[in-house]
Amino acid sequence: MENSPSLTKDQIIQDLLPQKFGKLGMIWTYSLIFICLIGAFAYYRQLSKGLVVTNMGDYVSWGIYISNFVFFVAISLVGSLITAIFRLSNMKWATPLTRIAEIIAVSAIVFASLIIIIDMGRPDRMLNLFLHGRIQSPIMWDVIVISTYFVISLLLLYLPLLPDLKIMIKFKERSSNILNKLYLFQGSFWRGTAEQFKISERAITILCITIIPVAFSIHTVTSWLFATTYRPGWDSTNFGAYFISGAFLVGAGGVVVAMFVFRKFYKLEKYITEMHFEKMGRIVVMLSLLYLYFNINEYLVPAFKMKSGEEAHLKGLFSGEFALIFWFAILIGMIIPILILVFKKGRKPLPMFIAGIMIVIGAWFKRYLIVTPTLLHPFLPMQDAPAEFHHYFPSWEEWAIAMGTLAGTLLVITFFARIYPIIPIQETITEQDETCMSLPPTKRHE
Amino acid sequence: MKKLKINKYIFLLLPFLFIALTNRVSAQEKEEAVELVKLNYFTVNNGVQYLILENSLKKGRNTEPLKNKVFHFYLNSNTPENLIGKVSTDKNGRAKSFLPPSLKAAWAESSNPTFIAVAVGKEDEIAAELAVSKSKIQLDTLTTDGIRSISVKVMQLTDSVWVPAADVEMKVGVQRLGGILSAGDEETYTTDSSGTATMEFTKDSLPGDQKGNFVLVAKIQENDLYGNLLIEKTVPWGIAVKTDNSFFEQRTLWTTRFRTPIWLLIMAYSIFIGVWGTIIYLITQIVKIKKLGVAVPEEEI
Repeated sequence: MENSPSLTKDQIIQDLLPQKFGKLGMIWTYSLIFICLIGAFAYYRQLSKGLVVTNMGDYVSWGIYISNFVFFVAISLVGSLITAIFRLSNMKWATPLTRIAEIIAVSAIVFASLIIIIDMGRPDRMLNLFLHGRIQSPIMWDVIVISTYFVISLLLLYLPLLPDLKIMIKFKERSSNILNKLYLFQGSFWRGTAEQFKISERAITILCITIIPVAFSIHTVTSWLFATTYRPGWDSTNFGAYFISGAFLVGAGGVVVAMFVFRKFYKLEKYITEMHFEKMGRIVVMLSLLYLYFNINEYLVPAFKMKSGEEAHLKGLFSGEFALIFWFAILIGMIIPILILVFKKGRKPLPMFIAGIMIVIGAWFKRYLIVTPTLLHPFLPMQDAPAEFHHYFPSWEEWAIAMGTLAGTLLVITFFARIYPIIPIQETITEQDETCMSLPPTKRHE
Repeated sequence: MKKLKINKYIFLLLPFLFIALTNRVSAQEKEEAVELVKLNYFTVNNGVQYLILENSLKKGRNTEPLKNKVFHFYLNSNTPENLIGKVSTDKNGRAKSFLPPSLKAAWAESSNPTFIAVAVGKEDEIAAELAVSKSKIQLDTLTTDGIRSISVKVMQLTDSVWVPAADVEMKVGVQRLGGILSAGDEETYTTDSSGTATMEFTKDSLPGDQKGNFVLVAKIQENDLYGNLLIEKTVPWGIAVKTDNSFFEQRTLWTTRFRTPIWLLIMAYSIFIGVWGTIIYLITQIVKIKKLGVAVPEEEI
């Protein structure tokens, strides 16, 4: 946007209004629906037969469902980074990315809640958490912060959308009747008066301030689900900061991927420019280095002491049965992206996209490594346990459900991008006007 | 000149190469693998008899368990009618089989049963054989003048008559999580000519279960004649362990929610109310925006 100050208001509106999907978009959507349906069928089997369809057992009671949960919570943190932290620090260049970040946050947090319910053998007992919940229990903290973060993220998505809803209502010929009814229901009262803008701006600022501690809480609490237990790999005072740094990294990686995809398929090159990739690239390098630093803390310090209780766990990661995934997560999830993005040429859209994909995939496996290997290394030796309890590989139902939830997250983002403008229209116009006003009169509308 | 230099390095390397090769050959000579098959017989409380086979490969100083090896167990002779069972070794190289009811008559007839293990695929040779004398073990307790003692009697079947078994070594004591805590000061006890071993129970003040019970055991291990025998008896000789509820009424992090520390409740609820209060305030702001919008006619925009 900063590179193209000569865009007219109409042009911006035409460019940024939601577009109908082409053939590729439809294939993408139906593929996601198909994966979700397989996941739903697998969940139906799990509901009817019980958790016996999974490969979880007495030892590995948290498998890929909980890994997925930690992943979702992590990626959802990006909403607070891009929207709140950047907005409060007046980083205007990030405006086109705010809605992408917020929708990633909302969809991820929805599926984070769902996957927890899926992990329960008896989901109907979820109600007991509210009826008999104890404030001392970390799971209660998690329920509270997830629901709070969800509501705040939803508000942060909705309030900046109001001016855009007015624009979409105005251009109703661009949308179907159902969508127009939806826009009217959600935003027909927005007149764009100075008073409304004033209240809205103030509310958004309050939201941005509130979401930061809540976002930090949500992932700190998630880390405490592990760190409040005395187990190899989890017994760490560093866990909150370690989780938050990892969350910012995967979230930023996710935004980079989404930026590239929306830019390419929605033809948004004028709005998501190379400058955005350059700046996001620098942020991702910093976050990768930060996360790498915490990883060194988390693994090398216990490895230096090599306490007998932790030895099997650490050796399993460094050179044992989890070594392949461990080094994959470290190399693909951190070191290679750092090597790509540290150079200026690496901060171009395509290399950034590749690095973003690496970060997200590496982060998913990293969450698996945080959850499962610890469970396979209890302090007391595993005696008289069936042979299959000594190892864990998810059943097809677990894979299908986990992939179904990941596809579900992408589907929510996809539907959102089809229904609403993925780049805030009104804010783009306002910033365009401000940029023009800051230019000398002769340079305006060149 | 260059050629000479290369030759010099080869000469340097030759001694190392020689040592490495000769070591390897001698190591191969030493490490001839031998397959070991061992049968063990167990009786628990004179009622349950079973066999455990251990199969391993001995190579030099190392012994590695052989897994997934299939064996047939037989009683007295390796004929199909005497088949005890077909077993497969686990990852520790062990396989277990109980005596089936079909061999009850054959078992009752014999005073000195022989167990035979034959590897599947090598039916012509006997992999392991174990002959035992049929035996039984009894454990009695006695309290005289407040002194508790244990008497263990071992009998063996000879010509259809139960006779005392002398000089049988065993462990007698209390079954604890990590093993057997000896009843007296000795590590093991041996039966006398009457087949009896008597010992004073010196372990006072041992914690039992909630009723003060614990399990006394007498265990004969890997005896050449009798195999492995175990007898158990529950006695109320322990101290009843009661849950210490003395701290229950205190406000601690792990007690029920009605006893949560007040400072924790105040902190948690004030954060909760603070954040949700802000959210409710923001929702009222949206309602305010809506009211403002409804008040302004659409054409005025």
